[in-house]
Amino acid sequence: MSEIIKLKIGLASCGIAAGGEAVFEALKKATALPIDQVGCIGHCYAEPLVEACLADGSSVMYSNVKADEKSIQDILSLGGENRFEVPAARKAKELLKVLALAGRIVPTDLADYTANGGYEGLKKALSLSPEEVINEIKLSGLRGRGGGGFPTGMKWSFLAAKPGFDKTVICNADEGDPGAFMDRSLMESVPHQVLEGMLIAAYATGASRLVIYCRAEYPLAIKHLKIAIDQIYEAKLNVFGNRSIEISIKEGAGAFVCGEETALIASLEGQRGMPRFRPPFPTDRGYQDKPTMINNVETFGNIPVILREGGNAFASTGSEGGRGTKLFALAGDLQYPGLVEVPMGTTLNEIVFEIGGADRSHVKAVQTGGPSGGCIPVELFDTPVDYDSLRSLGAIMGSGGMIVIGKDRCMVETARYFLDFTHRESCGKCTFCRIGTTRMFEILERIVAGKGCEADLDLLEDLGKKIKAGSLCGLGQTAPNPVLATLRFYRNEYLEHVNEHKCRAMQCNALVDVVLDKSKCVKCKLCLKTCPLNAISSDFVIDPALCTRCNSCLDSCPKKAIIRAAKGDK
Amino acid sequence: MSIEFFLDGKAVTAEAGQTIMDVARANGINIPGLCGDKRISKTTSCFVCVVKDKKTGKFLPSCSAMPANGQEIEVTSAEVLEMRRTALNLLLSEHNGDCEAPCTLACPAHAAVEEYVRAAANGDFAKALQIIKERIPMPITVGRVCPRFCEKQCRRNVDGEPVAINEFKRLAADMCYDSYMEDLPVLSGKKAAIVGGGPAGLAAAYYLRLRGIAPVIFEQMDKSGGMTRYGIPEYRLPKNLLDKEIAHFEKMGVEFVYGKKLGGNLTLSELEQNFDAVIIAIGCWQASGMRCEGEELATPGINFLRNVIENNCSAPNPGKVLVVGGGNTAMDCLRTSVRLGSPEVTCIYRRSEAEMPAEKIEIAEAKEEGVNFQFLTAPVKLEKRNGKLILTCQKMTLGEPDASGRRKPVPEAGSDFEIEADTVIAAIGQKTCAPADIPVNRYGCVEVGNDGVTVRSGLYSAGDCVSGAATVVEALASGRRAAMAAARDLLGIPVEEENPINVSRGNWQELSADELVVLRDNLSAEPREKLSFIPLTERKTTFKEVCATMSAAQLAKEGKRCIECSCSDKADCKLREFAGQSGCRTDAYSGVRQAASYDVRHPEIIQDRGKCIKCGICVKICKEVVNKSLLSLQKRGFASCIGTAFDQGFPDSCRECGECINACPTGALDWRKKR
Amino acid sequence: MKKEYEFLRSIPNDPGNLIKGLQLLQSSCGYISVDGIRAAAEYFGRPEADVEGVVSFYAQFKRVKPGRYQISVCDGTACHLKGAPLIHEWLHQELGLKPGETAEDGVFSLETVACLGCCSLAPVMSVNGKVHGKLDRKTMMKILKEYAAK
Repeated sequence: MSEIIKLKIGLASCGIAAGGEAVFEALKKATALPIDQVGCIGHCYAEPLVEACLADGSSVMYSNVKADEKSIQDILSLGGENRFEVPAARKAKELLKVLALAGRIVPTDLADYTANGGYEGLKKALSLSPEEVINEIKLSGLRGRGGGGFPTGMKWSFLAAKPGFDKTVICNADEGDPGAFMDRSLMESVPHQVLEGMLIAAYATGASRLVIYCRAEYPLAIKHLKIAIDQIYEAKLNVFGNRSIEISIKEGAGAFVCGEETALIASLEGQRGMPRFRPPFPTDRGYQDKPTMINNVETFGNIPVILREGGNAFASTGSEGGRGTKLFALAGDLQYPGLVEVPMGTTLNEIVFEIGGADRSHVKAVQTGGPSGGCIPVELFDTPVDYDSLRSLGAIMGSGGMIVIGKDRCMVETARYFLDFTHRESCGKCTFCRIGTTRMFEILERIVAGKGCEADLDLLEDLGKKIKAGSLCGLGQTAPNPVLATLRFYRNEYLEHVNEHKCRAMQCNALVDVVLDKSKCVKCKLCLKTCPLNAISSDFVIDPALCTRCNSCLDSCPKKAIIRAAKGDK
Repeated sequence: MSIEFFLDGKAVTAEAGQTIMDVARANGINIPGLCGDKRISKTTSCFVCVVKDKKTGKFLPSCSAMPANGQEIEVTSAEVLEMRRTALNLLLSEHNGDCEAPCTLACPAHAAVEEYVRAAANGDFAKALQIIKERIPMPITVGRVCPRFCEKQCRRNVDGEPVAINEFKRLAADMCYDSYMEDLPVLSGKKAAIVGGGPAGLAAAYYLRLRGIAPVIFEQMDKSGGMTRYGIPEYRLPKNLLDKEIAHFEKMGVEFVYGKKLGGNLTLSELEQNFDAVIIAIGCWQASGMRCEGEELATPGINFLRNVIENNCSAPNPGKVLVVGGGNTAMDCLRTSVRLGSPEVTCIYRRSEAEMPAEKIEIAEAKEEGVNFQFLTAPVKLEKRNGKLILTCQKMTLGEPDASGRRKPVPEAGSDFEIEADTVIAAIGQKTCAPADIPVNRYGCVEVGNDGVTVRSGLYSAGDCVSGAATVVEALASGRRAAMAAARDLLGIPVEEENPINVSRGNWQELSADELVVLRDNLSAEPREKLSFIPLTERKTTFKEVCATMSAAQLAKEGKRCIECSCSDKADCKLREFAGQSGCRTDAYSGVRQAASYDVRHPEIIQDRGKCIKCGICVKICKEVVNKSLLSLQKRGFASCIGTAFDQGFPDSCRECGECINACPTGALDWRKKR
Repeated sequence: MKKEYEFLRSIPNDPGNLIKGLQLLQSSCGYISVDGIRAAAEYFGRPEADVEGVVSFYAQFKRVKPGRYQISVCDGTACHLKGAPLIHEWLHQELGLKPGETAEDGVFSLETVACLGCCSLAPVMSVNGKVHGKLDRKTMMKILKEYAAK
């Protein structure tokens, strides 16, 4: 076996959160080998991940590495434990194009990026006329990856049609969907790829300013982007003949609504991020009143790929409902949460079960599109994932967040969760969104508290439809979706809550008691010690009046003698 | 370059820069909207102005959307109206304010209480009387006998006693009644006959005359006033004052014909032949019996009272008196008996004191005058033995609440006992006694349509004969409605409808003192002014009026106790106006309302955030028109609000130009002094 | 401008840079005070009410001084499904804090954040920016103890 010449450690946010930095420090102490701090390969469940690159060009990966001596020595001796292989099913289904370099190269090393084909797309673009570049994008069939799915080539041509160069291209990196992290991962792992896409856009549309609007919760992404921008300036990659492109990065300040383009522009201009009526569209009057175009991170991440392989070749991947590949942030109740890239049109079955390794018998549904999307029940998992198929089910592609919901989760509570989010994120401008989502949230609170009635369901449906119709921006237009979708597919769960005051998932606290099965109890008293409220008596009876259903005792019980049961059931 | 498109199917043309709303307005279609102001950039916030693009199926805010060639816009389709109604209902659901004050809402005549209290407290009694008479044409009477629905809902009940509202009416009337004269319009030539000269008939005549219709009242007795004359004792309503009150109607040109009884010497058909409209206001003059054996031996309460009044308060001593019943008529009978010299007066009532329908003050005054009360006692049998009346009663206990919400009395077996008396008065209730050609319902009351007054076109009815025995103020309100219905049918004068939209901060019973919203200056913390009574011995032996009218000085103090609950913007609040027009309901959506975080720190300007619709017009006006930027939108979502810097209120740099106030569609920003 | 806010001059005073300025204020001072708003208003040429409106719109900006350790509990979808509400309950039991509050001794403050982007490690929370994943009650208590002892 050949020897190790280099180590790579995944130090994107997920790697760091899993303890990667300690592993990195331990490795540094243990060896003089060069250690590359790379991004995320998408297998977040396996973090911290260390890759040992061998002299023969092959490599061995180690997952869930700990900072202890044994784990480190295992790697350095290429020992057998913790060796990591990409699960075969995932390998078969995945197609890494946008993510090809993620976790393989050092994000802040321009040379590493160019050595692996970086900036070839830009070079190719500069050899074409702007019209030809836009034509390639049109041929690729690329549609906006931020959620709306508007054809990217067409969007570019609108901006290109505006005279002069006093124009702005904005990268929307305000990944607001709670439960999505595609953009974070791309910016952290391959910042140059995103910037390359933006530079190509600047060339093709005639824009002189590039602005990245990134959420402040992503400090590592911001750091990597800033370094990459400096490198671009230094290498003069932003200079096209006599045009020099200005690149800047602005941090968002925590407002989901700023994903909406007019709100995003207001925020960039230092205002409250409130959307305005369109027209005028940003291509007519946008950032600083100048023509402006906004694409999201993943869209820009696709651009270098399109330029490198050509629009037609790009379009050969995917389906009628969408071309190319799509990134999904898989999370929730499954074995392999992480970031995946599959051809458009891959079915939910393939993504959730084959790639995600979810337990077929345990999955109830998947939520796509986050708070703007809807749930899709497991019975419909043969649906191909593309813009149009998802919309027909009342869900949306969204940016690519995909949350697997297990059978032990309550769909009403899930809907309540999303409305809790959207009603707080509403900017407050439109009556329907501001008050309507609040009223919907209140009704859902009532239902999960066992105080709803059947008429509430009609009220939710009616109000939901009106909010969608009577709101200015995408937030209000989609906020009721999680409720409408769950009402469509899981009305029976709602009915159980309102008519029988039962939550079959045993999740809604007001409808649940925590009870101790004395036949299983071994009187170890761990639960008594754990309970923060002393709600368990010395003879092991849980007082429902004191108990807050915090589950502390459930976790503490070695015999699983404590369970959540329907209120009133003995 | 003009654009051709369609509004509700009609081809219209838009000039450059015109919104759909602009074009609609130019074509005579007013689309309501709350958040627009031509001087500032678009706010596009309220969505009340939504219209529908028929082809795309999308709803557009017409204040902001520009029309496109060939576009088909629906402005008044059911779907559009439903969206509009929903937007308004949502705004109402978060609105924290009082459109009308609770006193006005509680008043059956919907009198502008806050306004007349303010006028009188400021010493302008003529103005107060004018405001009162817009709804209450018999203020001398009502100022004395009203059970004061208004005071029962007064928010001052939270921290003490209600404002003495009725005393304002009484003094204003006492001071200015003689000199007051309405502006009378020229008579139209239409004539109306009114049967019955009680308060309902008088009110009908009054408001008909004010609409140019000549009223003629046909009265069966030889004097008018109805129950106010023959049912209310002298000590509560001196008849010389009633005469003065009614004389004013004659001065106004109301014609009275006495001694005419419908179904007797007067027929409906002759009235219908000779008049353009007929209003039946014959009252409830048939007393109900005790519903027990021997009930015919009892004197009906109203007959007893009428007999005393007709004899100028000089009826013979009734001896030992038992009055059966617990209403106001029973109290009148009891107290009249005391005054006639009865040695022992007892009230027999089958429930407990708490359930008694009589006014608390009446009960208290009766007790002061020495009346006995025997509660939870019901008559079983009345008989005459040896020249004495013997009333056999049984004891009762209270069971489950009945349909009226009061606990139902249940007889106690074997509890019968006898009481001896010289006079037994049955004051149980009264019924309408309508002639055969008037349609009646199963309660014997005149059957009317949904408006509460129209029997059929040209024939109307008002007062007790429609509602069953009720109060003077209710009869006046009913008479006014009948007059308006007749004026609508005869002259096409629109009925003055109350705005059905009345957001309320809640009944005082649900509020605590610190939840009271006080937008006025120097609210008085003094207790309610006291009435002065004549000495008890005089009360018990004469029919002199029991208490005196409060003085102007007292009322000036009392007026400062009024919180002035109603919204300063109630007359021109666009939200209320459009909601009223759109069939909205204040309870369409329940949920948390905006906090009552009002700001009265500025001497001239009130900021009442609970009424804000977050349109932000004020912010833009201050920034774009006044060039000050003293206001801003703060927070977001449901919690968003309009604020000044650091919540310090309007700073000195505000030059009180009033632009924000004028632009505010609701009462969220207003001048502090109510005009 | 008060001397303590001179650092704002590191950013061009174009009114559009307000948010950037506020972020700098917050990172320097830990929160945004009334004086901070006054300084930003003066420097960026924006009315005070306007600046306050911007500050109050964005979730990132804090108007009260946070504790030494700022606990941010992620309530993204994955974390919510995997028990973020329980984490809040446990934290409340242990520290007596609700989101948005700071302990009286100034050690911990608690907030909820929309998503930290570490969904694969759900449920997560961060303490002064350091993310802790796959939380259960035991590990959470251990983390709290460690910080409290520092």
